[in-house]
Amino acid sequence: MIGIGFVESVLAGAVAAGTVFLLASLGETYAERAGVLNLGMEGMMIMGAAVSYIFTNALGHGAALLTVLLVGLLMGLLHAFFTVSLKLNQVVVGLAITILGLGLSGLMASSEIRGRIILALNPEATRAVLASQEAPKLPLIPIAGLKDIPVIGPMFFNHNFLVYLSLLLSFVMWFLLFRTRFGLNLRSCGENPSMADTLGVNVYLMRYVSMAVCGMLGCLAGAYLFIGYQPFWVEGMTQGRGFISLALVILATWNPLRAVLGAYLFGGVEALQFRLQVLGIAAQLPYFLLMLPYAVTIVTLTMLSLESVRKRVGVPAALGVPYSRE
Amino acid sequence: MLSLKLERRGEVSRKFSAAVSGFFLLAGLFFASIIFELLGVSAVETFSRVVSVFTSQSSLMQAILRGLPIGFAALGLCLAFKMNFWNIGAEGQMYMGMTAATGVVLLHAYYGYIPDFLVFPAMVAAGFLAGGLYCTLPAFLKVKFGVNEILPTLMLNYIAMHFVNFLITGPWRDPRGFGFPLSIIFPPYARMETFLGHANFIGLPAAITAAALIFGLLQKTSIGFEMRVLGQNFEAARYAGVKIGRTLLTGSMVAGGLAGIGGLVIVSGMLGRLRPGAPAGYGYTAIIIAFLAFLNPWLAVPAAIFFGGLLVAGDVIQATLNLPFAAVQIFQSTIFLMIIVGEFFKRYKIRVVR
Repeated sequence: MIGIGFVESVLAGAVAAGTVFLLASLGETYAERAGVLNLGMEGMMIMGAAVSYIFTNALGHGAALLTVLLVGLLMGLLHAFFTVSLKLNQVVVGLAITILGLGLSGLMASSEIRGRIILALNPEATRAVLASQEAPKLPLIPIAGLKDIPVIGPMFFNHNFLVYLSLLLSFVMWFLLFRTRFGLNLRSCGENPSMADTLGVNVYLMRYVSMAVCGMLGCLAGAYLFIGYQPFWVEGMTQGRGFISLALVILATWNPLRAVLGAYLFGGVEALQFRLQVLGIAAQLPYFLLMLPYAVTIVTLTMLSLESVRKRVGVPAALGVPYSRE
Repeated sequence: MLSLKLERRGEVSRKFSAAVSGFFLLAGLFFASIIFELLGVSAVETFSRVVSVFTSQSSLMQAILRGLPIGFAALGLCLAFKMNFWNIGAEGQMYMGMTAATGVVLLHAYYGYIPDFLVFPAMVAAGFLAGGLYCTLPAFLKVKFGVNEILPTLMLNYIAMHFVNFLITGPWRDPRGFGFPLSIIFPPYARMETFLGHANFIGLPAAITAAALIFGLLQKTSIGFEMRVLGQNFEAARYAGVKIGRTLLTGSMVAGGLAGIGGLVIVSGMLGRLRPGAPAGYGYTAIIIAFLAFLNPWLAVPAAIFFGGLLVAGDVIQATLNLPFAAVQIFQSTIFLMIIVGEFFKRYKIRVVR
């Protein structure tokens, strides 16, 4: 029952499932590096899923993805307005945005309202489209030649473009963060904002920019979850994936490249437990597998509290602290 | 050129503070109605459904019942947040409370331990202990290693959820339940309504007593004083000789314990059995309530009942207007956001400067 085919399918599933976590945690990494803890990620993700569901059915993938980015931008800026400009508590604002996202997405995607939105966008929509709980999936783009390599092929080279984009983004975002002036400025806002301010970095602007990036990637992660991974709408379908991405940021110690590994690891856990459940083997094991990411995060956080480790990985010291110029 | 400048306010009067909060509470409802109207849902009709909950006796009883678990958890959070302990793990602590309470029932039903009349008191004790201990874990990590509690408390919610799912699909599943993930139905003496005819009749007095105890603890005892000092300024507290470890652990034990009691109310007062996903986000709602009550224990229970009413209204809206339960979350989030914006205006004033 468990052979090479099973391993191949779990590994391919790990990348497919992990991309949700990867996109979201790339965004969250930027927010946290700039000193903003975004607990609204769950809400951003579910909004991305709902918007991609509705807009794909109305106007197709391209328009859906653009709208998703716009919604993400707005949600990120909303978070930044409350936490950066008004200096409100980041935990509270984040939770409020998560609840708002859960509520708004559920309401938007409910049958009647969804139908109204789709008809407004596209008066020609058929009855079947209006009633559909699903949406067309993003097409797979297999990479010729590479996709037939055993194990590696299905794992990396037979996915939709968002999977490739997320990998590309993690390199680009790593480079920007650690090898450019912009990245240095951004990190300094999370490390020591008043020092950054004295050196001429616009802390408020940097935090706004990083929250905008975070919002867009968070919503994109949700869109990928829906049109790229499991295109069937269920209210609250993110099921805590946004919060898992927060865990992942810590596990990856705020590093976009390490986030890739972590994302596929978490994705692998999801893929494995799903397949075990389908096969009906080790019926109780999946629950403990699902606890694993959370438990590992708590252990990591504890290790990161050691001064020597903190220094080495560069934990953003001012994370969660509103900056005020006084 | 004109620009805006923030200025810190000093102490504000109670009247001013109440006026600001009242204004922003209304603003929250206003934003909710804008969202409803934008989506083509009549706000007036939605509101009238919400109001109707509080005008009929039977639905008011429902609102109180739904509000009780939120209220207990929110009381705990008032205490935790006063200590500046950012416990967002009430949901997990509720899970643990309901697990322990159910465990007591199962021990009794399967193995015959514990006489009938002691089952309920034992459930209360077990619920409190389980919720409390689950909350002292992140507190311990904070005291011992300086780990910020925000993410650990959040993570522990999911661990608790999967743990309950494990129990309820495996060892704790009702053997005669046709394979559904449910525990056995609790015997009458393990259910809150047995004692005085309705769960509210012991739940509400208990919640008010708990509010009084938390108020007393915070305002009248030395450890309560230390908790408040700790919340205002960690360094000052250390300098003043507050035993930080002891204070945090005690406080988190009480805070988590109250959430655990909330979990007990869910299984013993509402469902009569354990089932997956039972806290249904009450632990997160409790965070909103703690803020809505300005961390004042006396206000936490009424605020929770108000939100309990919103939950009942959610069911009504679902049934009559064919809207999903998410409609309630719109109310919750806009009220929440506006209440915290109100806090901003209590702290700062905005000046236009030239």
